[in-house]
Order: sequence, then structure tokens, then C-alpha cells
Amino acid sequence: MGMLGKLFYFKSNGNFKRSKKWEQELNKCIRCGYCYELCPLFKSNNWESDTPRGKLLLIYGMITGEIKPTQEIVEKIFQCFYCKNCSDNCSAGVPITDILTDARADLIEAGFEVEGTIVKIDEDLCSVCGICVPLCKYEALSIDEKDEDNKKIVVDKVECRGCGLCVAACPAGAITQKEGCEVTLPELHEKVKEFIKEDGKKLVVFACNWSMFPGMQLSESPTLVKTPYGIIVSMCSGRVAPELVLNAFDEGAWGVMVAGCPPEECDHDGNYKTRRRLVLLKNVLKELNIDPKRIRLEWFSTGESAKLERTIDDFVKELEKMGPIKKMNVSKVIGG
Amino acid sequence: MKIDIEKLKEIVGENNVSDDIADLYVYGSDASVHHALPTAVVRPKTIEEVQKIMRYANANKIPVVPRGAGSGTSGHTVPIDGGIILDMKQMNRILDIRPEDMLVKVEPGVVDDDLNRALKPLGLFYPPAPASSRIATIGGEIAANASGVRSVKYGATRDYVYGMKVVLANGDLVNLGSNTRVHSSGYQLERLIVGSEGTLGVVVEATMGIRPLPKYRCLAVANFDKLQGAGNAISDIISSGCEPSMLELMDKIGIIAVNKAMDLGLKEVGAIILFEADGNVKEAVDFEIEKMKKICKKHNGKDIKKSYDLAERTKLFSGRKKLFASLSQYKEGIICTDLADDMGVPNSKIAETAEKIHEIAKKNNVIMAVYGHCGSGVIHTKIMLDPKKKSQWKDAEHVIEELYDYIDSVGGVTSAEHGIGLSKAPAWKKARPDMIPVMRKVKQALDPNNILNPHKIMDAPDDWVKATNLRYKVG
Ligand SMILES: Cc1cc2nc3c(=O)[nH]c(=O)nc-3n(C[C@H](O)[C@H](O)[C@H](O)COP(=O)(O)OP(=O)(O)OC[C@H]3O[C@@H](n4cnc5c(N)ncnc54)[C@H](O)[C@@H]3O)c2cc1C
Ligand code: SF4
Ligand code: SF4
Repeated sequence: MGMLGKLFYFKSNGNFKRSKKWEQELNKCIRCGYCYELCPLFKSNNWESDTPRGKLLLIYGMITGEIKPTQEIVEKIFQCFYCKNCSDNCSAGVPITDILTDARADLIEAGFEVEGTIVKIDEDLCSVCGICVPLCKYEALSIDEKDEDNKKIVVDKVECRGCGLCVAACPAGAITQKEGCEVTLPELHEKVKEFIKEDGKKLVVFACNWSMFPGMQLSESPTLVKTPYGIIVSMCSGRVAPELVLNAFDEGAWGVMVAGCPPEECDHDGNYKTRRRLVLLKNVLKELNIDPKRIRLEWFSTGESAKLERTIDDFVKELEKMGPIKKMNVSKVIGG
Repeated sequence: MKIDIEKLKEIVGENNVSDDIADLYVYGSDASVHHALPTAVVRPKTIEEVQKIMRYANANKIPVVPRGAGSGTSGHTVPIDGGIILDMKQMNRILDIRPEDMLVKVEPGVVDDDLNRALKPLGLFYPPAPASSRIATIGGEIAANASGVRSVKYGATRDYVYGMKVVLANGDLVNLGSNTRVHSSGYQLERLIVGSEGTLGVVVEATMGIRPLPKYRCLAVANFDKLQGAGNAISDIISSGCEPSMLELMDKIGIIAVNKAMDLGLKEVGAIILFEADGNVKEAVDFEIEKMKKICKKHNGKDIKKSYDLAERTKLFSGRKKLFASLSQYKEGIICTDLADDMGVPNSKIAETAEKIHEIAKKNNVIMAVYGHCGSGVIHTKIMLDPKKKSQWKDAEHVIEELYDYIDSVGGVTSAEHGIGLSKAPAWKKARPDMIPVMRKVKQALDPNNILNPHKIMDAPDDWVKATNLRYKVG
């Protein structure tokens, strides 16, 4: 839609009809910022406009007509993993993610094209096998069968929570997310490498954002105290692809821990998949002559930060007994 | 205003400069009622980058507003003249922890709680602890002389500042203060930067004192039917020589709000006070707590509970920690605004001031909660109103005028810990006209082009409502 068209569209459709109903809730925000210390997107991008309170302000500016939506603003609004760390911590009672969802619907209706944290399908790679469709608990994926000869997977951009479960599950590697929010495989690989090569860490912990992030804060501070472990937040333990784990070993990790919510508490049903995947991985490790005890899958409920610390300490001690892994070449196993 | 964005990108890199409206709009506000657009946002990572930015801004007379977490409550970082917002949060390394010297060296963007997380395993802590410690940065705390729940025993930020590196308006770097708790070597310029609200220089490194963590902490809560009883108990605790490590008040409005927000099930009495003692000898801690309990009982304090257990203490304190935001949930249709938020009064005036606040609120059709670190003389309020109604902003103006006149009449101070910024400037100027010319001379000496956070404190507009756009849509 061209600029003129967009302006006309706003006029004729009443701008932000869904978002406007939240004006009173938005006024409740005192801008204390308690919502952003736990927001993974703020942690990775570090601009005030990446904070939940920043996004609320942008929405407020749009519904009160003080600012017009621009591509950059729209991108910001579509960057959210719906972990709800923000709304759970807001004692002013601002329903942050509900407001975001309505703003998204309004912006999509207004014709904006976005990437945000939502997934993208590469139609050249996608074979429309449909494995991803039932995986998504939010029903954000469906098969468009309108054209019999040209079926395709479509993504509901309002519903997609950016958890990346489908990205890890797609056998064709056809589902991706935008770089820049520390969720894509190359970005996660990079982080693993940095931990091991630059910081000399022995244990890589993939922690699910939902249950772990608050506890994870314990070890995320920019301290001088060097820890033998590094924690990488993934949006869901189901998001941890096997090659990510193997890559960590290849880079020189002594051990890998995947920490997720207990199966019955997972928001995405992702951890069932993790469990299955890790059983298979352990077999692969055996073939590579690596002790399968070097991978651990652990469940933690929200707030169990003391348990997290204890479990990590135990594992580090065990790994120190085992020592480093003799050189291996994982890339051969996972096909380069 | 013309700003050479490319020049700024050369200094800090492509990804650390923005003049996109998505950023300008968001960086135009803090936790106050104000809003104004900057022209650019810049995120330096090194001292040299800050120097280069200041040299460029000074040569071109471009305003620069240093910013930490933007949790300031009075419009401190709202760029009233546009210009550059200097987002200091990227400079967030803890440079050195020296237990042997009982000090730390930090970059200004380090978050208070992060510093304490790093110190805890070493049995140490950094005491000032504002309630916003989850997000507030050390630079912001220095520039506002933040204090908090433990200030009654441990003092404010100023008591921990040993030294600092500051980039001046012209880009020069100066090293102020020392590595020692005391010094008598020239003007105490590091102290001048404390509370300067970003108007005199950019703090780029700070040397701060730290303390050993006490072995025992015991927190107690007492209920009072009357706000007056709670206020008197606080004054009595302080004047009878008790040594609380925390002494907090929360009135009924606050209690109802946190009950609504967090389902805490607190008894909705006239007021509660939270008092804590700490130390390395349990008997001594017990002694302090018992002494304070006795005083509470003398003023009809009831249902007194105490605990040494961390989880239990955290629970007891959780309502107070999140009180500010919870106030927005007190009553449908009204919300909490950050106005008239932190006066200081002499110890004997706590109860009287608390009651006066309720009286002024009632007279002017707004609701005001009374709470705060009253042990150190800080009384917090918030004005709760319907921000869409124009008349309510008039009501707020009346409240502010009456309240600060009263504070002045009892020998109190406009701001005890959050600073003056924009919204408290008219009241402060009225109370301290003698300070204004002296402060202007200091400002002129250090920042002759008036580029560092201009038009704040003594130079702020006389009408706070019109100083900037309000961040709420009125009407
Ligand atoms: C929920 C809530 C609770 C609060 N509780 C307390 C409390 O208990 N006690 C208390 O004292 N305050 C409290 N505050 C106020 C506020 O958090 C403090 O004033 C804090 O010190 C501000 O830190 P900041 O990093 O957010 O600074 P900002 O708000 O970003 O800036 C504050 C001032 O510091 C200046 N500044 C920032 N960084 C630098 C730097 N590197 N060099 C020079 N100047 C700089 C800015 O220009 C500005 O004038 C509270 C605020 C909120 C929202
Ligand atoms: S926690 Fe709530 S009140 Fe505080 S800034 Fe975030 S949305 Fe606003
Ligand atoms: S739901 Fe999570 S990712 Fe989204 S804004 Fe809130 S904290 Fe950030």
C-alpha cells in the first residue's frame, strides 16, 4: 500500500480501533520499568524502544495520534516472545501482551508488512509436509489450499508468538526468524562460541525463558566473578535444535544442560519434544564416543532459582571430574 | 535543531545512534508526567566516545542529556530543548571489586541490583538501595543522590561516593575525589556532581564505597489503627536512639492498593510500619527489634510479626517494594502520577505531615497515598487522579502549591531523594531563592554554553504543567 493509500485507509477504517480501548490501561503505567529487566528482547537489543514500557508508549502515541506508525515502530511492536515476564511483574496491572496483540492486529489490518520475531516460510524450501501445523499451539500456521497446485504454509502474524518450536522441527529448514533478536541458529551458535572460546566456559546451559529467566538473572550480571558456565536463553526448550547441542561440544564445551519448565507447565508443549530429541542425541553422542552423561535435561518451575544454581553447581563438579572431551568432528555427523 | 547524525555515527558506530521516531518518542519520557522529543539518541561505550560527543555538542551548542534507566520521577531526562539523549546503559561494566579496600569501580550504566548481585557472594553490599534498584543505574543514582530503604542506617549515595571520572561540557576528562572514605584535598568536587542531575558533567566512572553484609537481618511489621499513631511511633523510634536498618511507613490507601495488585491479604488498617534491624550479633539485633516493638506498642501498634528468614522477609516487604505501581490499581478510573513524591521533613513532623497530606488531597478532589522511608525523614506521596480531565490537573497544581508551602513552613525540603528536575522546580525555587544565583554561577563556570541538561532545577520553567507536553492525553 502506498503512503496515500495508507492515510486513506486509516481515515476510512478508524485508526487503531482495537488498541484504543486500552487507553485507560495504558494510562496506568507509571513507567517504573519493572517490566523490562526481565524482557529477553531488551536484554539482547538494549534500546529503550525494545522495552515493554517503551512499546506501550509507542502504542499510546499511535492511538492518541501523537505519532504515526512507521515501519520501525511496527517492527518494534512485532518483536515480542509473549513470555509475559513483563505483565507478570507489572503491579499497575497493565495487560501488556494483550495490548500488544491488539496493536498488532490493527497494524496488520492497516497493511503493514513486518518481520519482528515472527517466523517466515521459505517457499522454495518448504515441501508443505505440514509437520509444523499441529505443532503450533497458537494455531499460527495453516496450509493454504486455495490453489490446488500451489499449496503453501501461511503464518498468522498476529498469533505467532515467536517461540521457534516450528523452526527447530522443520525437516527442510524452511522456517526462519529474523536476525537481531538472538534467536536464530547462527546467532545462538555465535553465542556458544563466544562463551567457550572467549570466556573459557565449560558448561553451556540452554534455559527456557518462561521458567528460567528470573533465576537466570543471578548469573547474568556483568560481574567480575567468572563462572564456569554460561546461560543462553531460548524461547522454549523445544527450540533447542540438536545441532545447537552438538555445536557446543564441537566448540569445546565439557557439558550441555537443557533447562525447561516441567512438562505439564510448558506453554508450548515444547518440552515433550525436547525430551524425545535428547534421547536421540544421547545415542548420537555414544556413537561419537562421548559420555551421554555430558548432556542433562532438567525441569524447573518458575522461581526455582535456588534449585537452578544447585543443579548447575553439581553438574559443573561432575564435569570437572570427567575433564574435557577429546577432539571430535561433529560437523561430519550433522552433515556440515 | 541540526545535528550531524553521520558525525555521531563516526564516533559511536552505526548501531549506536538513532534519529528514528520510534526511539525519539520513547526516549522523550522518564517516569514523570512530562514528555518532549530529543533530536537524536546516542549510546556511547567508552570514555573517549563521551568526550568526542561532548566536544562536538559544545562546539555546536547542542543540548546533551545524560540518561541512565530513565526512572527519574520529575522529568530529569526529558529533553526540554531537544538535542542528544546520551544513553549511558551500554557503559555497564563493573571494572574492579576491591574487598581489601572496601570499594568498587564501576561504569555509570551498571544497574544497582547487578552490582549487589556481584558483591553478595563476597559477603559485601552497596547500601543506598532505592526502591528502583532493579533498574536504576549507578550514574543516575549519583546524579540524583538516590537513597532508599536502608538510608536510615547507611545513608544516601553521597555517603558512598569516594571518587569519579567526569567528562565536562567541553569534553575534558577530570578525575575527582579519591580511593579513600575521607579526603581533604581541595574542593570536594565529586560531591558537587552528586545531585547535579546531569547538568554539570557526565559521570563516566565511579569509585564507590561498599560495606560487609550483616550476618543477621530481622524484619518486623506492626499494624496501627491510626496513621497518626504510626507516624508518632516512627518519630519516637528515631529520637529514642534506636538503630533501625529500615523504617518504612505505608498508609491505608497503599495497603488497599497492594492488596488489589498482589492479593497480599494485608489487614486494611490505618497504617503499617515495617522496621528492620541488622548486625553480626543476633542478641544485638534482637535487642533493637524488641526496643522498636515496645515503642510501637506504646503508640498502639498491634499484630506485630517478625522474621529473620529471607523468604519470609521478602514476602513481608513485597507490598512496599511494588507500592508505587500498585497505586494505579487503587480505584477504577484514576491512576497514579508521579507528582509531589518525595518531600523530606524533620523527624518530629512525620505524623503531622502524613495527616496534612490526606487533608490537602481531600480538599482538592484527588487521592494521595502516604508512605516512604520515613525513618530518614522521607515522605512519599503520589497524586492519584483522572488524567483525562483538565480540571484534575488544576487540582494537582493546587495540591502541589499548598503542600510545598506547608513543607517549607515546617522546615522540610522539596525533594529528599528523587531530585528537582522539572515538576518540582517551581516549588523548590520558591523555597530556596538564595541558592539560585549561586547554582547558576557554578553552572556557568562548568558549562558556559548551557548544553548539559539545560533548563532543569534552577533554570526550569515556572509552570510545571506547561513546561513540556504532559505524557497523558488530556481531554
Ligand atoms: C518505582 C520507582 C521507585 C523509586 N524509588 C526510589 C527510591 O526509593 N529512592 C530514590 O532515591 N529514588 C527512587 N526512584 C527515583 C529514581 O529511580 C532514582 O532517582 C534513580 O537514581 C534514577 O536512576 P536512573 O538510572 O533511572 O537515572 P535517570 O532517570 O536516567 O537519570 C536521573 C538523572 O541522572 C542524570 N544522569 C544519569 N546518568 C548520568 C551520568 N552517567 N552522568 C551524569 N548524569 C547522569 C540524568 O541526566 C538525570 O538528571 C524511584 C523511581 C521509580 C520509578
Ligand atoms: S511494569 Fe507496568 S507500570 Fe511499570 S513500566 Fe512496565 S507496564 Fe509500566
Ligand atoms: S512478553 Fe516477554 S518478550 Fe514480550 S515484551 Fe513482555 S517480557 Fe518482552
